[in-house]
Amino acid sequence: MGAPLCSVSRLCRASWRAVRPGCQRLHQTQPTGKETHFGFQTVSEEEKGERVYQVFENVAKNYDLMNDSMSLGIHRLWKDWLVRYMNPTPGTQLLDVAGGTGDVAFRFINYVQAQREKIRRNKLDHQQNLSWSDISMSYSQEQKGSLMGSKAVICDINKEMLKVGREKSLQLGYSEGLSWVAGDAEELPFADEKFDIYTIAFGIRNVTHLEKALEEAYRVLKPGGRFLCLEFSQVNNPVLARLYDLYSFQVIPVLGEVIAGDWKSYQYLVESIRRFPPQEEFKEMIEDAGFFKVTYHNLTSGVVAVHSGFKL
Amino acid sequence: MAAVAVRSLSAAGGRRLLALCGRRPAALPRTAFCSVRTFWVTSAVRSADQKFPPPFPDASSPPDAAEEPSTSPPRYTDQGGEESEGYESEEQLQQRILSAALTFVPEYGWSSEAIAEGAKSLDLSSAAAGMFENGGSDLVLHFVSLCNRNLTELLEEEHKLVQLGSTEKKPTAQILRDAVETRLRMLIPYIGQWPQAMGILLLPHNIPSSLALLTALVDDIWHYASDQSTDVSWYTRRAVLAGIYNTTELVMMQDTSPDYEDTWHFLQNRISEAMTMGESMSQVTATGEAVIQGLMGAAVTLKNLTGLNQRR
Repeated sequence: MGAPLCSVSRLCRASWRAVRPGCQRLHQTQPTGKETHFGFQTVSEEEKGERVYQVFENVAKNYDLMNDSMSLGIHRLWKDWLVRYMNPTPGTQLLDVAGGTGDVAFRFINYVQAQREKIRRNKLDHQQNLSWSDISMSYSQEQKGSLMGSKAVICDINKEMLKVGREKSLQLGYSEGLSWVAGDAEELPFADEKFDIYTIAFGIRNVTHLEKALEEAYRVLKPGGRFLCLEFSQVNNPVLARLYDLYSFQVIPVLGEVIAGDWKSYQYLVESIRRFPPQEEFKEMIEDAGFFKVTYHNLTSGVVAVHSGFKL
Repeated sequence: MAAVAVRSLSAAGGRRLLALCGRRPAALPRTAFCSVRTFWVTSAVRSADQKFPPPFPDASSPPDAAEEPSTSPPRYTDQGGEESEGYESEEQLQQRILSAALTFVPEYGWSSEAIAEGAKSLDLSSAAAGMFENGGSDLVLHFVSLCNRNLTELLEEEHKLVQLGSTEKKPTAQILRDAVETRLRMLIPYIGQWPQAMGILLLPHNIPSSLALLTALVDDIWHYASDQSTDVSWYTRRAVLAGIYNTTELVMMQDTSPDYEDTWHFLQNRISEAMTMGESMSQVTATGEAVIQGLMGAAVTLKNLTGLNQRR
């Protein structure tokens, strides 16, 4: 971690003079217990919550556009990968935390629909000489529950993001299986053991108390349920890491300023990525929260990583 | 300290136990106590867990740990079958899910859908199927090893009966025939899906494991057919039996006769062929040796006659 951070600080010394130089990651463990990090700055815990809220309030409108332009569209592939990896069966209950604009939830719905279609086709293959009444029966059943009970609950602390997501769902024509809930990842407004899958895509690094969020994830999952986290992580390839740092600190805030008219929010975005624990450390945190069989996969050589764990 | 102990424990594979310790807001000394002792005996720890406080307060001293195995037999793995306390390792749970999934194979095929249904039947979330990254392959390999284990148990029982003298020892050909037939009969409940399974077993990434399972099967059968060869025939015997098993399996897939009579005829014929082949092979070698000796003698005689052997 040391090397990329040093190169980062050399690259853009001008942009944050006031920032603390030594970048220890876990500020929660400091004796005061009240301070945490906001990007490379140290702020009080309450302030962090507010400032994160402000950042996402500011970026909500241009969130999807900015994601596309900053990641050159690759974020779509990452989310596709996540849902393919999740491989949800019809009937799965998904909780997508910090899923404001619904990217993961929409993909989930599409995937479940495709799965159901596959199952239906298999069934028809099995019983080759169906009577007409059987076929019409199968169609009428299908109309009734085209998702076979699957539901995606999108929970986001930020109301602006939820609003954007809901508008988008209407635009794209998703009518069923989605519900939008405003709630904090550290105190989820759901009963215990309600969900099969918990996903959090590019959200967990903005949570003030990671451990609390993980505990909440554990609480709301059914036994056998799965925790999936898609998050920016540490790039392993040194050459790529150098390029990546250059890109994130030199290009992204500029893009933010040009497209969304907001330098600071995007500065925070890049900085918060650097403060997030690397793959192995985060894996241990998930294990400490009680999950089993915790694994992670690096995508695009570690620009993002998908962590997976099971509640058994 | 507790965190370190917990981590080291998790590295040793006792994750389930770790959760047991970790879930309670337990005091520090207890966690430390667990970390030292579980390396030796899980059962002892569990009993000690019930009659808290621990017998020795200073459990971290090495002599205690060293003495431990002598008091009760050490159990390094949790593969000892049923755990009385309703408490099982990750692997055991996985095996249980796969076994439960077999019930759903006729309906869903060898797929992760079947595993998801199996997990559901155990009151787990269908997302637990995500633990098996190879989906159908894991299920098929589990089934094959399960069948092999069953067969070994059956053969073992039979072998014991023979040793006790309650039944007569069958001729080798008969043992082989019966073993292969018993093994193939285990496929009957899944006969409709078995071609798919055979295909899965032949996928490049499954070949090492499926080959290992096949050789183990053939090895076990020969073991109970009391083969004690140590020469090249050790290999030929196994190769021949593996060939017979696989061809008979293929015949069985095509067989429509009642109770697979044609298959068992085919098997009988192949076994007796192999037996006669073995006999004729030994005859051929014997004859060959005699012929070579005769030729050598003739050559020497010829040399003598022509005077080539004379020393000058």
